[in-house]
Amino acid sequence: MNESALQLASFIIYFLVMLSGFASFFGSKNKWPVISYYLAISGFIIQSASLLVRTLVSGHAPFTNMYESINFLTWSCVLVIIIFERKFKLDKAWPYFWLIIVALMALVSSPVLPKNITPLVPALQSYWLWLHVSVTLLGEAFLAVAFVASILYLTTGHGSSRKTENEKKKNKYDFIAYRAVAAGFPLFTLGALVFGMIWASRAWGRYWGWDPKEVWSLITWLFYALYLHTRLVSGWKGKKSALIAIIGFLAALFTFFGVNYLISGLHTYV
Amino acid sequence: MIRFLSSLRLAIILLILIIILSIIGTLLPQGETPGFYQNYFPHWSGVISGLQFDHLYRSPLFLSLAFLFLLNIIFCSIKQLPLKFKQLKGQIEFLPAGGQPVNHKKLAAGFSDWLWLLPNSLAEELRKRHYQVNIKESGGRKTLVAQKGWPGLFGPEFVHAGLIIIIIGGLISAFFSQRIPLALTEGQTVDLPGKSFSVRLDRFTTDHYPDGSVKNWKSLISIIDRGQVKEQKTIEVNRPFKYDGLNFFQMSYGFDWDRTKVELEIKDRSGMVRNLGVTVGERVQIEPEINLRLLNFIPDFGLDEKGQPVGRSAEANNPAALIQISRNGMPVYLGWIFYDHPDQARAYRQSDLNLEMSLKKFEAPLFSGLEAASDPGMNPVWLGSAVLFLGLLASFYFNFCQLAVRVEPSERPLFLASSRHHQTGFYQELERLLESRPAIAKNSARKKGRETPDE
Ligand code: HEM
Repeated sequence: MNESALQLASFIIYFLVMLSGFASFFGSKNKWPVISYYLAISGFIIQSASLLVRTLVSGHAPFTNMYESINFLTWSCVLVIIIFERKFKLDKAWPYFWLIIVALMALVSSPVLPKNITPLVPALQSYWLWLHVSVTLLGEAFLAVAFVASILYLTTGHGSSRKTENEKKKNKYDFIAYRAVAAGFPLFTLGALVFGMIWASRAWGRYWGWDPKEVWSLITWLFYALYLHTRLVSGWKGKKSALIAIIGFLAALFTFFGVNYLISGLHTYV
Repeated sequence: MIRFLSSLRLAIILLILIIILSIIGTLLPQGETPGFYQNYFPHWSGVISGLQFDHLYRSPLFLSLAFLFLLNIIFCSIKQLPLKFKQLKGQIEFLPAGGQPVNHKKLAAGFSDWLWLLPNSLAEELRKRHYQVNIKESGGRKTLVAQKGWPGLFGPEFVHAGLIIIIIGGLISAFFSQRIPLALTEGQTVDLPGKSFSVRLDRFTTDHYPDGSVKNWKSLISIIDRGQVKEQKTIEVNRPFKYDGLNFFQMSYGFDWDRTKVELEIKDRSGMVRNLGVTVGERVQIEPEINLRLLNFIPDFGLDEKGQPVGRSAEANNPAALIQISRNGMPVYLGWIFYDHPDQARAYRQSDLNLEMSLKKFEAPLFSGLEAASDPGMNPVWLGSAVLFLGLLASFYFNFCQLAVRVEPSERPLFLASSRHHQTGFYQELERLLESRPAIAKNSARKKGRETPDE
């Protein structure tokens, strides 16, 4: 099987995961959640195979241009969603996470992102490429889960008829967002900032140069530091911290896309 | 003042201000001339120059915020540490059992009974679950403190300590790091300021992929100390070389256009054609009494606002040579000739000279762009990063849990159960622990004459 066939297959399966997830809303005690979960596992395995094929064919890490990076980010998000489902039971939130995955897969499959394999420029030929990008994107996948959980938190109403049920849901979304940041923040710190500094010091002879991509990674990181500390101040949990988690992830997205397309700097490879 | 300096509120304000300034720094082009800002930001250029936002990350405003942030973290840690040690030692403010949340009451009653009647069995069960247990008895009063995951208690302190070290390392770098750019052509040697050795480029090669794009640049360099080759090493992109505290990096490559050699085709009055090779700065005799001199070579010829020739880039997009011809020492011709536009010579002076010149070939030696750097702030930054990362792992993956119970005759039992991350999870764990409690005779001696909460 070639990469594009595997990629298409996983796209279709993720779509079915989302459909079966939403189907579980209708009627209680149905089989849909189980079906949806196993579909998710199989889609993940197939997408992993597609990443593996691309790595073998190209001979380099599967995240050296926009198409590859978003694809890898999507794969990481799927991994994180499955981990969170196993650990914390996402329940009704599950299909909404898959909505995001399907949107990302649609972007990945669209012709906007060129999919051809290009040789690596000299600056990218380093094992630090593997460490830096994979850990950063994995961290961002956790932050993406926190982002979605925070949106769910804000959009879950107080609906007077089901007040306690909604309160319970909201508490759970707040908890999921915090746990996702608690996992994503260390990974992002390690991948983006620490490994980024080490690689920059080896490639360019300085670990920090206030390059726009570096500054935006720092800004993203500071937002999550803000998230963690505002939670320590009483009364900031819930709505305000959900807002900061959302803005923090938008900063991460800007680091990812905006800096490449809108601001020029050294990091213009991806 | 100290209280404000160590407060979380100041930390939040500073974080927000630093984020805002950093964003401005990425949107506003940095390091441009005052004229640039007047041109593009006419209303703001006063503010920009006043706050020195043309180099925002080194501006007094940004540096003072960073410094204030450093103070904030230091004071905050100083305030937190004694509290944390107190907590670790079990010097805890107990809440009276009655004033506790509902799900607390059952636990409070259960554990205080257990401690009162079978302290050893409770200690054993707790130890089985990896708690450190400390029981004190003094005159009828029994106090138990059990805890686990202590790295989680100090995780934030490690994170903040790592951050302090990183910021200090950054300041050291800002003041003491050194970068020396070296552009060397093959065979060239340069001395390094402040060092006893010099560096020679022996060979510079570029590898290509089959499709023609660049795969790698490699410089073979020799370290020469008092005429002797001490070491020879190949430097590649991403593979620096360290010698005597200096790191050598392969940064770039390019053509040394100031040493371009061109080939001219000269056709004279009689139609005779000949080719002439000449290097920038060189003078050659082309006829008796007639000299030709190559004054300048520009790879990408353009004109500035005043109509003066300038090089637009280092790429050979519009190569041009400035030629001067003199007869008996008197200049008779001065002008630019172009590689791509043979008929468009741009002459400044032209007397009765019947020569036709064209630029046939040009060739510049390749130079390797190396950089020698030393940065004494680097190691502190790595140390701080390691401390910070370990602190993050401790903060988030060691959940500090503490159980404290105190019982004494004719007093309400005191009970405290706290977990940094997952309070309800900890209560559930304690409820399960309570189920493993051995049977305790009802109406135990302790209960007589006292009320126990929630029974
Ligand atoms: C960018 C800078 C900072 C980072 C990355 C950082 C990181 C952290 C982390 C990861 C935690 C643990 C949070 C949790 O467990 O949920 C924490 C806790 C804390 N931080 Fe910071 N911090 C920073 C700056 C500051 C500053 C300037 C202060 C000064 C007021 C501060 C005060 C605190 C306090 C009081 C805690 C709670 C300690 C505890 O729960 O035991 N932080 N910080």
